[in-house]
Amino acid sequence: MFHAKIKSETLKGVVDVVSTLVDEAKFNIFSDGIELKAVDPAHVAMVDMKVEKSAFEEFSADETELGIDLDKIKEVLRLSRAGDIIEMEQDEAKNRLVLHVGNITRRMNLVDTAGMSDPKVPNLSLPAKLSVTSDELQKGIRAAESVSDHIALNATPDGFEMYSEGDTDSVSLKLPKDLLISLEVTEKVKSLFPLDYFSNMVRSIPAGSVVTINLGSDFPVKLEFEIADKRGNVNYLLAPRIESD
Amino acid sequence: MYGQSSSTFDNHVRSLSTAGALEVPAGSPCVICKGSKNLCGKDRCPLMIKFYSRSRSRNLIDSLDLAGMSPPGIFVGRFGYPKVDIGPLVPPMMGDTSLMDTPEMWVGRSIDEIVDFRFNLVRGKYRIDATDFQKYGRIVDHTRDLALSNDPTEVEAKFQKRPSGRLILDDEVQPFGPSARLQNLEIGNPRYDRRVEKAFYDTDLRATEAVKALYQEGVLISKIQKAFSVGAFGVDKRRRFVPTRWSITAVDDILGKDLLRTTKRNPTIEDWRVYDWEMLDNRWCILLMPTTWRYELIEAWYPNTTWNPLGQQIEIISSHEFYEGRKDYAEIGGCYYAARLAVNELLMAEGRQAGAVIFREAHPGYVMPVGVWNVRENVRAALKTAPHSFETLSTALQHVVSRMDISLERWISSSAVLTDMMTQRRIDDYV
Repeated sequence: MFHAKIKSETLKGVVDVVSTLVDEAKFNIFSDGIELKAVDPAHVAMVDMKVEKSAFEEFSADETELGIDLDKIKEVLRLSRAGDIIEMEQDEAKNRLVLHVGNITRRMNLVDTAGMSDPKVPNLSLPAKLSVTSDELQKGIRAAESVSDHIALNATPDGFEMYSEGDTDSVSLKLPKDLLISLEVTEKVKSLFPLDYFSNMVRSIPAGSVVTINLGSDFPVKLEFEIADKRGNVNYLLAPRIESD
Repeated sequence: MYGQSSSTFDNHVRSLSTAGALEVPAGSPCVICKGSKNLCGKDRCPLMIKFYSRSRSRNLIDSLDLAGMSPPGIFVGRFGYPKVDIGPLVPPMMGDTSLMDTPEMWVGRSIDEIVDFRFNLVRGKYRIDATDFQKYGRIVDHTRDLALSNDPTEVEAKFQKRPSGRLILDDEVQPFGPSARLQNLEIGNPRYDRRVEKAFYDTDLRATEAVKALYQEGVLISKIQKAFSVGAFGVDKRRRFVPTRWSITAVDDILGKDLLRTTKRNPTIEDWRVYDWEMLDNRWCILLMPTTWRYELIEAWYPNTTWNPLGQQIEIISSHEFYEGRKDYAEIGGCYYAARLAVNELLMAEGRQAGAVIFREAHPGYVMPVGVWNVRENVRAALKTAPHSFETLSTALQHVVSRMDISLERWISSSAVLTDMMTQRRIDDYV
């Protein structure tokens, strides 16, 4: 059983974070909130999200699973304005999700979750940890986009650098320690990532958020941030590129 | 690539200008242009002219009248679109000529054989506005009837001049023989394919839906494409003639994309597979990978092949897409879509998903272009053979290299999909 009311902008934040990586997703519903784990089709990136019950205006649920086509939720969001409340209700008999916005009622078939197993979350111990605003990350991505299709994330005890090298040009955004919110790095680390993934993931982070970056050398990067007015948190994982020679 | 330095381009044009001595320098645009885009700036492709001068000129018919069994075949030109030449393809012979315009039946035949029977097809030409074809009357109606007909149909053509004898070659369209402007056209009773006829009379059915439905009912792609090119499908007012060359790729693209909607959701295959194939001095390896959908076609043109006639080195070109597909037209042309369809037919039949990389080496025996069917039908044929199965990517690639002349390093550096496989780690690698 699942029945909830949520602000449209909160729901949009949740959907954006997930739809960056997948078109359909399995939401695990509990009595105290919702959780989701998903990897993108190429198995390069992962999202691990938890949203508390208190992020909703109203929330009552028993443990269940909802397979949702995220494009359909986006269609409903397009019908709503900021501040609108969206009511969601599981119709167990017909295996549907029913959404109400104002006087509009949208009934959508749920996606079969039988083939959607929860991906295993890698247990990584990443030596470097730092926090930065998502706006700074955006800036670094914009700088890199015209230069290359990959981006290196470097951290040293003195600061953080986003570096991109193309065939002819290179670009770097250096953030010394005092421009970072926090920095816990004992030795230099560096990993290389596909820029399109990194860019799409960062773009779905709410503007003005603080992002905690966990980094190693030739290891996945973990991005942690909060959504839904700090009542939800998201971990993104992105696997590195290894330049073999 | 071409156009990066102006000196390469100048050299290219200069060398093409030297009468009699055609030379295609390294990095020339020929392998991309394939005689279709005039990238060198000349009015006509010098390589094509060379092919034409080589092809035997002969007078098939002495009179202005030609009677024969059309396979049935038609051709819609593309130059000057929407003002294009349309008309039938007619051989000067009776009997069952259906082979002549059914590329699905050509796998295993030699270039000489194919060129020989295609050369017998005389093209009648009649200029129309492709977007406003209704007003042109009988010749247009008869051409449409032919395209929709199931069996070879008797055709009597009256020409304005004697058909001039030369073979028309194109990288995407199968070759055909001499042509002349039509004075008049009469045809016997066409027998429509009932399935095609139904789509023809359904003026509310969108063209893409018609193409998909006919394919699912088992109509041959070459038949669907012919009907597509005479504007037999689509919403009434939007129907138009479509140049043959464009219609081939349109049908391959529509069908490939449609299959992908299903195959992209299937579970992946379990092993690394390589399918080997060789035909018309083209060597093929099709690598299927136990990954989600991604696809690349890599063509290596040897010196002395069609698009690399006097080059000193092998030219390699490729186009690819990842899971999300691609929006712009593939650099290497219609063959990309033809092969993509063939791969997805296999995945559909198996209920599986896979990543695919197609390696094609065109060796010097491949002297002239014979059309996109060559790629579609040969990839289909290759995928009907029993594949070699491997445990890892590297052992699969070892097999590919053992069958091909080009080194592994060169294949990988030419391939976006393989480069990604080699460099990009997966989340699963860390679980």
